[in-house]
Amino acid sequence: MKLPLLSLLVFLPLFGAGLLWLLPARAARWLTAASMLATLALGVAALVAYQPAGARFQLLEQASWIASLNVHYRLGVDGLSILFLPATALLFLGSLVACWNVVQTSARLHYSLLLLLQTAMLGIFCALDTVLFFVFWELTLVPLYFLLGRWGVSSSSPQAAARYFLLMLAGGIPLLLAFVLLAASQPVPTFDLTVLLDAQLPRSTQTAVFLLCLLGFGIKVPLVPMHTWLPQFALAAPGSLTALLLGLKLGAFGLIRFAVPLAPAAAQDMHWLLAGLGTVAILYGAVGMLAQTNLRVGLAYASICHVGLAVLGLASFTAQGTQGAVSLLLSFSVATGGAFLLLEFLRQRTGSTDIHALGGAAKTMPLLATGFLICGLAGVGMPGTSSFPGEFLLIIAALHSHTGAGMAALFGLSIAAGGFLALYRKAFFGPVTRPEVSQAQDLRPREWAVLVALIVMIVAIGIYPGPWIEIVRPAAEAWAAGLGR
Amino acid sequence: MNGTLGSLSEVFWYEQAGLPLLLLLQLLPLFGAAVVFAFKERSTAVLAGKLFALAELLLAIVVVSRLQPTSAALQLAERFAPLAYHVGVDGVSLIFVLVAALLTFLMTLYGMSRGMISPGRLFAVLLLAEAGLVGMLVTLNVAWFAAFSALELWAVVYLLRRWASSHAETQALARFVQYQAFGWGLFAAGCVVLGWGHAEAHAGRWSFDLFDLIGAVPVGKFQTAAFYLLFYGLAVRTPLFPLHGWLPNMAQHGLIAVAPALMVGVKVGIYGMFRFVLPLTPVAVEYWQPYVVGFAGAGVFFTAALAFQQTNLRRLLAFAVVSHTSLLVIGVFSLHEAGIQGAMLLAANFGLAATGMWFIVGFVFRRTGTTELHELSGLFERIPFLAIAFLGFGLAIVGMPGTPGFDAAHLILEAAIDQFGALLTVATALGNVAAAGFLLWAFQRAFLSQAKSGAYDVDRTLPMEYVVCGIALAAMLAIGFFTEPWLHLTESASQAAAARFVR
Repeated sequence: MKLPLLSLLVFLPLFGAGLLWLLPARAARWLTAASMLATLALGVAALVAYQPAGARFQLLEQASWIASLNVHYRLGVDGLSILFLPATALLFLGSLVACWNVVQTSARLHYSLLLLLQTAMLGIFCALDTVLFFVFWELTLVPLYFLLGRWGVSSSSPQAAARYFLLMLAGGIPLLLAFVLLAASQPVPTFDLTVLLDAQLPRSTQTAVFLLCLLGFGIKVPLVPMHTWLPQFALAAPGSLTALLLGLKLGAFGLIRFAVPLAPAAAQDMHWLLAGLGTVAILYGAVGMLAQTNLRVGLAYASICHVGLAVLGLASFTAQGTQGAVSLLLSFSVATGGAFLLLEFLRQRTGSTDIHALGGAAKTMPLLATGFLICGLAGVGMPGTSSFPGEFLLIIAALHSHTGAGMAALFGLSIAAGGFLALYRKAFFGPVTRPEVSQAQDLRPREWAVLVALIVMIVAIGIYPGPWIEIVRPAAEAWAAGLGR
Repeated sequence: MNGTLGSLSEVFWYEQAGLPLLLLLQLLPLFGAAVVFAFKERSTAVLAGKLFALAELLLAIVVVSRLQPTSAALQLAERFAPLAYHVGVDGVSLIFVLVAALLTFLMTLYGMSRGMISPGRLFAVLLLAEAGLVGMLVTLNVAWFAAFSALELWAVVYLLRRWASSHAETQALARFVQYQAFGWGLFAAGCVVLGWGHAEAHAGRWSFDLFDLIGAVPVGKFQTAAFYLLFYGLAVRTPLFPLHGWLPNMAQHGLIAVAPALMVGVKVGIYGMFRFVLPLTPVAVEYWQPYVVGFAGAGVFFTAALAFQQTNLRRLLAFAVVSHTSLLVIGVFSLHEAGIQGAMLLAANFGLAATGMWFIVGFVFRRTGTTELHELSGLFERIPFLAIAFLGFGLAIVGMPGTPGFDAAHLILEAAIDQFGALLTVATALGNVAAAGFLLWAFQRAFLSQAKSGAYDVDRTLPMEYVVCGIALAAMLAIGFFTEPWLHLTESASQAAAARFVR
C-alpha cells in the first residue's frame, strides 16, 4: 500500500487545527507553525515524487464517497498544479509569521481558521472530482469570512467580509450548475475530471458550461467588471490574509483547470471573449493603479492587471501560453504574496500603508524597503525575477494569437510598472515627515527569514528558470493537445 | 411493487422484526408522558423526561436498522382493522422520525426558562407532542394523521398559553389558534372528501386508509377540491407563503425555542404532501403544479425581502423558515425523483438547522433579555462557540458544501433544470443566496459588531449549551460529509413517489 501523500498533505492542517484545541492556548502559535512546516515538507515531498515525464495525473488516490450520485473522493496532481502545493505551504507560513504578534484575542480560533483555509486551498489544487473541488472551493469562504470579519483591520471589515462571502456564494451557483450540466451530459452521470476531460460534448452544452465557468471563476479571478470587491477587500483585510487570497490565484487556476479544457470547442469559439476580458483587465488594472494612494489597494489593482495577462495568454490555447500562465501565477504567489506580507509588516509599524502617511520609509526601514522593491519588481515582470519567464512566454503567445491585444498588454504592463515605481517613490523615498515612520524599526529576524526565503526563490527562479518551466511544460502540452479533441 | 401506477405494497412487521416496533415507537413517548406527569414536581421527572426522549431516539435508530432501504414497499407495517389502525414506514418517513426524536431529545436538554410551568409538566407535554409527531409520520390513514396533528397542536397551544402573559403574547396565541384551527379544518374537510369518494365507489363503505383510497381516487372536480383542501390545510401548517401569518408573531412572542421547533422543526406539512397529497390527487397535482411552483418561487423572494426588513432576530428567523419552506415545495412539486428526494433531505436539514438557530436565540435571550437586533452587539467575544454554531446552522440552510443542505439542494437543482428549465433554477438558487444575505446580516449585527459601551455582561457558554449545539452541529456535519447512507435510505421511496407521474 502506497502512502496517500496528497491526502496527508491536504488534511494535515485540518488535523493540526483539531490538535490546537487539545493543547494549551499558549502552544497554539508554535503548534500552527509546526503544522505548517510539516505541510511544507509534505508539499516538497509531493514535488519530488512527481515525475514530469510520467503520466498526466499522478499521485492518484480514489475512494468511494457518495456512491448513488457517483461522486468520488479523487485526488491527483499534474504539472499545472504540483508546484502550487509547496507555494501554498510556503505562503501560509509567511502569513503566519506576519500575524505572529498581532492576534491577541481568541488566538486558537484564529489559527485553526487559518489551518482550515490551508486545507481548503490545498484541496482545490488536488481535487480531481468536480464535486470534491466544489466542496473545497466553498470551504474557503467560511474561514475567510471569519478571518476578515473578526480580525479585519478597518471598521468596515465585517461589511467587506459579508460582501465577499455573498459574492463568492453567488459565484458558486454558476459553477455548480456547470458541473451538474457536465455530469448530466454523460451516459452515466459522472463528476470524474479525468473522464470529463476526454468526453465529447455537444456544442450547446459546451457553450453553457464555458460561460457558466467563466462567470463563476471570473468573480474570483477577478475579471473586470466583477472585480469591485477586491479593492475593498484589500483595504479591510490584514496583509497576511490578502497575501493568501491574491498570492494564490484560485480563479485563474480554475479557468486553466476547468473552464477551458472541459469545454474546449466553445472556449476556442469564444477566444475573443477570453482575450478581451484579459486585455480589459490589464489596461483597467494598470490605469486604476495610477489613481491609488494606498499601497495595498495599488497592489490589488496590479494584481488585476497581471492576472489579466495570464487570461490573455490562456486565450492563445497553446502550450506556450498555458505554460506561461501557470509560471506567472506561481511567481505571483511568491512575489505578490511577499509584497502583501511586507505591507503588513509596514502597517504594523506605521499604522498605515497610505503614501500620505509614509514618505521616506526607506531611511528607517532599509531592509523592508529593499524587499518590497524586489517583490514589486518581480510583480511587474522585471527580467531576472521569477515572473519574467512566464511573462515572456505569455506575451509571445499573445502576440501570435491576438496581436493587437498583445500590443495593448505590453502597453498596459509598462503603465503598471511606472505606476508601481511612482507609488514606491512616494512611500519610501523623500524626507521623513511622520513620527510613526521615523520611530519605526526595521524587520525583525523572523520576518527577515521569511523575506529571504521568498527573495531567494524570486531571484533563483528568475536566473535559472529551466527546471521549473520543465515541470510545467509536458502538462501544458498535454493540456493544449486535449483541446483538439 | 408490481410496477403499475398507483399501487402500493407493504411488508408486515413480523417478517422483519421480533416486535411491532412502530407501535412501540408511538407508545413510548405516550407512556413517558404519563410517567413524567405522575412524578409531578419531583426532580426525577426531569431525569425521566430526558431518558424517555433518549430512549425514543435509540428506538428510532433501531427501526432504521430494520428497514430494507432498497425496497419501495412500506415496511414494518401493522394493521388493526377495528380501529382502522394502519402504520408503515419507508426511508422518507424514517428520516423525519429521526429528526423528530433528535429534536425532542435536544429540547429536553434545552429545557425552558421563565418558570411559567414546572419542568415535569413541560416534559410531559413535550413527550405528548413527540407522540403526535411520530404518529403523524408512521400512520397510513389520513384520519389518524389528522387526529395526531390535533394532539400535537394541542400540546403547542398548551405551552403557548402557559407562556403568554402580556397582551402581545396573548394576541400571538389567538392568531396561532385561529390559523391552525382553520388549517386543520381544511385538512379534515379534505379527508372527508376522500372518504366520501371511497364510499361512492365501494357501495357506501367509508375508508380513510391510504391503501384503500389510492384505488378509488376522486375524479374531476372532486379531486381538485380534495387537492386544494389537503394542500392548503398542510400549507398553513408548513407554513407556506402566503399562509404563514401565524409564524412570525408566534416566533416573536411565543416561548422561544420549543414552540417553533415543535411547529417547524419537523416539517410534517411537507411530509403530508409527499405521503398523501401526491398519491391521492395525482391528476390535480399535475394540473396545478405550475401554479404551486410559481407561488412558491415568489414566496422564496417575497419572504426573503421581508426577512431583510426585520429588526427582531426571532421574527427574522421565522421569515427565513417561510422562505426556505417554499424551496421544499418546489422540490416536492417538481414531481421528479431527484427533486422529491432532495426536498425530503432538505426538510430534515432545515428542521435541524432552524431548530439549532432557535436554540441559540433562546440562549442569547436568557442572557440579554432581548432579541432586538439593535440591542444586541459583540456577542462573539463572549460566546464564540454559540456564534460559530449559529453561523454553521445558517450555512446549512444556505446549502453550503459539508452540510446535508448541499447534496439536497444539488438534487433539487438537478430536478428543477430538468422540469422547469434553467431560468427558474437560477432564480431559486439566487433565492438561496438571498437567504445567506439576511442570515449573515443578522449574524453580523448580533455577534460580530463592536460591543456597545455599557452593554450587559454576557455569561460564558454553559456546558448544557455546548452539548445541545454540539450534538446538533455534529449531526449536521456528519450527515453532510457522509450523505451516502441517507441518500440510499430515501432513494427508492422517492422513486416510487415520482413514478406516479409521467415525465
